[in-house]
Amino acid sequence: MAAQAIHQFAECITCHAWSPDHSMIAFCPNTTEVHIYKFFTDKWEKLHVLAKHDQIVSGIDWSRSSNKIVTVSHDRNSYVWTQEGQDWVPTLVILKLNRAALCVQWSPKENKFAVGSGAKSVSICYYEQENNWWISKVIRKKHESSVTSIAWHPNNIHLATTSTDGKCRVFSTIIKGVDTRGPHAGASVDWKFGEQIAQLDLSPTWAFGVRWSPSGKTLAYAGHSSMIYFVDDVEGSPAAQNLALRDLPLRDILFVSEKMAIGVGFDCNPLIFAADETGLWSFVRYLDERKVTPSTSKASQLSEALGKLYGQSRQGSSSDTVEPSKPRGGAHENCITCIVPLRKGSESIVKRFSTSGLDGKIVVWDLENHITIPK
Amino acid sequence: MANTLRLYLTCIRNTLEAAMCLQNFPCQEVERHNKPEVELKTSPELLLNPVLICRNEAEKCLVETSINSIRISLKVKQADELENILAKKFLRFLSMRAEAFQVLRRKPVQGYDISFLITNYHCEDMHKHKLIDFIVQFMEVSKGLVNEQLTARVSLDMFVVSEMFILRASM
Repeated sequence: MAAQAIHQFAECITCHAWSPDHSMIAFCPNTTEVHIYKFFTDKWEKLHVLAKHDQIVSGIDWSRSSNKIVTVSHDRNSYVWTQEGQDWVPTLVILKLNRAALCVQWSPKENKFAVGSGAKSVSICYYEQENNWWISKVIRKKHESSVTSIAWHPNNIHLATTSTDGKCRVFSTIIKGVDTRGPHAGASVDWKFGEQIAQLDLSPTWAFGVRWSPSGKTLAYAGHSSMIYFVDDVEGSPAAQNLALRDLPLRDILFVSEKMAIGVGFDCNPLIFAADETGLWSFVRYLDERKVTPSTSKASQLSEALGKLYGQSRQGSSSDTVEPSKPRGGAHENCITCIVPLRKGSESIVKRFSTSGLDGKIVVWDLENHITIPK
Repeated sequence: MANTLRLYLTCIRNTLEAAMCLQNFPCQEVERHNKPEVELKTSPELLLNPVLICRNEAEKCLVETSINSIRISLKVKQADELENILAKKFLRFLSMRAEAFQVLRRKPVQGYDISFLITNYHCEDMHKHKLIDFIVQFMEVSKGLVNEQLTARVSLDMFVVSEMFILRASM
């Protein structure tokens, strides 16, 4: 089984994040608090409760090298938590938003973080040494609806966003004094802060879960019409591949390598997507094997079909009631809302990752010995 | 007849299965608010196209979906005056006890007999398949009650009353 460990932490989990060494986990149990648990030899124990927000916490991110936690909440505020001794000390970040903050992510260099919000804008926050204060700059008037998800390009400059207006946009977030313009930035053109680099109008309805591939060559996001979009060469001439799914829509995506991605959503079961040598993406299979209960034998299905053919006379009187739907037999029992990689060191391929959902479970998945990950 | 009812209910079940993909979504228009968008209808982009499932003119089901809530409105078949009165009384009785049902709306949408309002909070607390089972079962039971059992009961009462009337008259 690909699910390595299943932990029931709460009734419902909105989002979660791992500490740099993966020994601690921070999550929001659908309340105003953030709980931090640590794994001791055989069981998880609650170490800290970060209680500063006064509405539901919608996003958590734990920086890998600087060991800082950033949290955002529907109360329009954001806190950066730093560990001092045993305690976590919060610093308020004024986001300059007048609506709820919905998602947050540290930039790859961890000198900035971005917050998507219901105010139809994105805040880019950075630390100002002189004032000992987090400053935010807002990208306004580009989105026509709430920003549901954000993703940093590995170059630390480009930021992709998805919104409930169905569009996916890429912005430049270059900030004087924080970012250095150099060859590593990748962009040949000098983009100003907040300038829109690309706008992808592929989804007819809400878009979610935008992610860059490890190299930043491919961008993926999901549409609520049960579609997943893979876009190559976003900056130059975008080439998009639209993939329609058989089942319910996705909420979040994770690239495990350049050629493989995992999608999670309302199906309660992670989906594996892979690209072949020509770069053509396709759905591979579900990750979780479900225990299918053989409720109806083949014979009864056949007789049912025959009954349909011969009219209703063969139908039993009991068949006018619709049989109740069966519970799902997978690791998750409700919508999966969050997928987080568990990276070891600097390797580019993610072999382990964790998912959390509305059923309050955090499931750690291991892809090794389960599926071959193409590089 | 029984078979068409099954198809109708299966269609509703499948529609609900696809439509009930809800998430927590704070209000875009009012600060610090979080309200069912399907009721407010302030941002048209947060609403999906409503689906109307009709078995016939007298029996239909309207499913309206938004990003954080879904509204299901039912019209129960009323063949005659008696069924009309029975349906009205019975569903009013339920609507007045809406809190006990959690997902029941206090007032039905105009043109329908009873409405349900399911928000993302219900989906967080309850299993989705159980919620859908509840709605479909409710439809089945209410239809059986209004169109068969209650009508039969009233006819029986009528029979008893008329019998007594004839007895009195003949005395």
